[in-house]
Amino acid sequence: MSATTFGRRRALQFGGLATLAGLAGCSGKSLGDSGSGSGGGTKELQFMFWGSTAEQKAISNMLKAFEQEKSGVTVKPVFTPADYDTKLNALVASNRQPDLCYMQSPMGYRLAEQGKLVNLYPYFDKYPDLANRLPGTYFWWDKGKTYGTQSANEIMSLWYSKPALSDAGVETPPAEADKAWSWDTFVQNAYKLTLDQNGKHPDEDGFDPKRIRQYGVSAGLGPTVYQPLLLSRGINFTDETGRKSMLDTPEAIEVFQNLADLMYKHRVAPTPAQLGNNAPSTTVQLKTRRVAMVIDGQWTLLDLAQGKLDFGMGVLPKYSKPMTITLGGATAIFSSTKHEQEAVELYLFHDNPTKVDLFSTGLWMPLEKRYYTDPKDIDVWTKNDAHPAEYRTAGVDYTINNSAPYFYQKLRNIEAIDKVLTPAIQVIQQGKTPAADVLKPLAAKLNGGLLQGTYPTNGS
Amino acid sequence: MRAERRWGWLLAAPAILGFGIFTIGPMIASLFFSLTDWQIGAPAKFIGLGNYRQLGHDPLFWKSLNVTTYYTLGVVPLTLVVGFVIAMLVNQGIRGRGFWRTVYYLPTLVPAVASSVLWIWIFNPDFGLLNSMLRQAGLPTSSWIYGEQSAVPSLILMSTWGFGNAMVIFLAGLQGVPRQLYEAVAIDGGGTWARFRHVTLPFMTPTIFYNLVTGTIGTFQVFNQAYIMTQGGPNNATEFYIYYLYTKAFTDSEIGYASALAWVLFVIVLVITVLLFRNARRWVYYEMGAAR
Repeated sequence: MSATTFGRRRALQFGGLATLAGLAGCSGKSLGDSGSGSGGGTKELQFMFWGSTAEQKAISNMLKAFEQEKSGVTVKPVFTPADYDTKLNALVASNRQPDLCYMQSPMGYRLAEQGKLVNLYPYFDKYPDLANRLPGTYFWWDKGKTYGTQSANEIMSLWYSKPALSDAGVETPPAEADKAWSWDTFVQNAYKLTLDQNGKHPDEDGFDPKRIRQYGVSAGLGPTVYQPLLLSRGINFTDETGRKSMLDTPEAIEVFQNLADLMYKHRVAPTPAQLGNNAPSTTVQLKTRRVAMVIDGQWTLLDLAQGKLDFGMGVLPKYSKPMTITLGGATAIFSSTKHEQEAVELYLFHDNPTKVDLFSTGLWMPLEKRYYTDPKDIDVWTKNDAHPAEYRTAGVDYTINNSAPYFYQKLRNIEAIDKVLTPAIQVIQQGKTPAADVLKPLAAKLNGGLLQGTYPTNGS
Repeated sequence: MRAERRWGWLLAAPAILGFGIFTIGPMIASLFFSLTDWQIGAPAKFIGLGNYRQLGHDPLFWKSLNVTTYYTLGVVPLTLVVGFVIAMLVNQGIRGRGFWRTVYYLPTLVPAVASSVLWIWIFNPDFGLLNSMLRQAGLPTSSWIYGEQSAVPSLILMSTWGFGNAMVIFLAGLQGVPRQLYEAVAIDGGGTWARFRHVTLPFMTPTIFYNLVTGTIGTFQVFNQAYIMTQGGPNNATEFYIYYLYTKAFTDSEIGYASALAWVLFVIVLVITVLLFRNARRWVYYEMGAAR
């Protein structure tokens, strides 16, 4: 579930054009299909997915449970932890794609437009659980056409180490949206939580910024961090139409400058350089007291809950309206499947909180609205040791009342936008150039034809 | 005789087949793809030289070409000089010669991924080896691969650490320098410098040339560091050509365009190699008569 941004660490294997070209000549037959598609034998489906070893185990168990419920159907898990896009691309190119698979949404939109994915809209009447999900989690590529939803939901949250806060005498971050810290309060508290090797804070004489022992907060400048703040400031990445960038507005400039200032002016947050590529996970950083607070996705809960750490979960700091984003990779069904009906049933099975333990262990959040509104259904996935007491407000209510969808999942042409956007934001991240000097030309570039509107936000 | 020939073909068959199936075949296929707008999932349409025309207007193509050239101009000369000097050193009659040779060759044996991960730590500005040493010495530190200006120089430095291959080839070359010539220089009253300048260097030019050509071809295809360490950043500072090609092919699924990129690189490297060979006639000395 970690595949939220494209620049995420990819694992270490190599594909090549050569292999692909070599495969392209092969005939189209699904991998491992026993060829008895209609012959009354067993129907075989393939489910391709990424994830950690914990996720692999949970998904494999879910697939086994599905096989037990559906006699005559076997599902082959195709676990692909590394170089996922490369392999999926190669399989599609050689017409050997799986029946169902996790997918990055841009690739999903593209394949859907090419007619390669099953439209799930016709199944809405038959399966209310498919029809009644959080609106932001659907991927509509056209009127009445959706290739499905996210595999699960995620939001962005504020995580913190309780011992670090109590040592500094800082009250814990609010877990209710309407009590969210203002940006200034957030920064003030980050000051109190930042210590150099001699125990000095950044606003004290003799503070040594080269030897910081504990940072107040780790936020970075990724899109999943700046978008909630833009929303809170009353704007979004683009205007409503998705054709005009809002990055050159005073509001956006303020948000980006504030994020950069955390690192370079206030020195309460590690720079990308200080953090280093291959940085340890959020859990490790909180545990080792490298940082006191971290802005990271809900999926972090899985690790945090398993670690022996006294942690807490809060809502993000706000400007005006408290806001977070909903996000998550997609699951899609290839239209080449020989068993569409069974594939749709598996689709509904695979993200069902009563069938998969990834919800109760903290990795995933459910998709259907009822899991956020009906107390009985909320208990299904949150009443356990993994979910802290404040989750009801900081996780459940926050999602349903204070979220908007992640723009990477809604904008057209996002791959081309990303190629311009990411390097530009890296310049701000270097701390040598004021945000305004980067954002104004960037907005002009985005407005020069890269922004091509949004995908539909609903089926009508 | 005929049986021998048959055996010869038979034994060479795996190599020939492998080359045909996994190199020549895909090359021809990619040449064909480069003339189409093939994006994975969609049918390919023939567009002639459309991809090649588009290249000229693609800022990232130029950027990646610049970055790769910069990197090559840094790595190749450095590796040649360092490899040569160290080869000369371990070629002396010092004690534990074998040990030193092994030590200098070892980095070459470390898998690319492992050494990349290792260097990420070395380059860490906060607690990395390099900055810690600089700080101890009271020298200014650098942000290494995290700074736009310092990213490529950092990677050049890292690549030079793998000079072992060049060194081993130089060592082999040094073994081939005729001893009697050194004696002749000594009799004529020449010192160390004269021995190096008039015997070692001329005899080593073919080896230098070989390392120069293979080094240039290899460095133009640098990929691992960008893929593992920097993802082409910051601000495209390490957007190496092959890394760009890879993202075009496998993130954007634009196989047609990526194939065109591949062929452009092929032609560029081919031209450079031909130029190197042309120029070699002027300075490469072959004992057995005129150079090519």
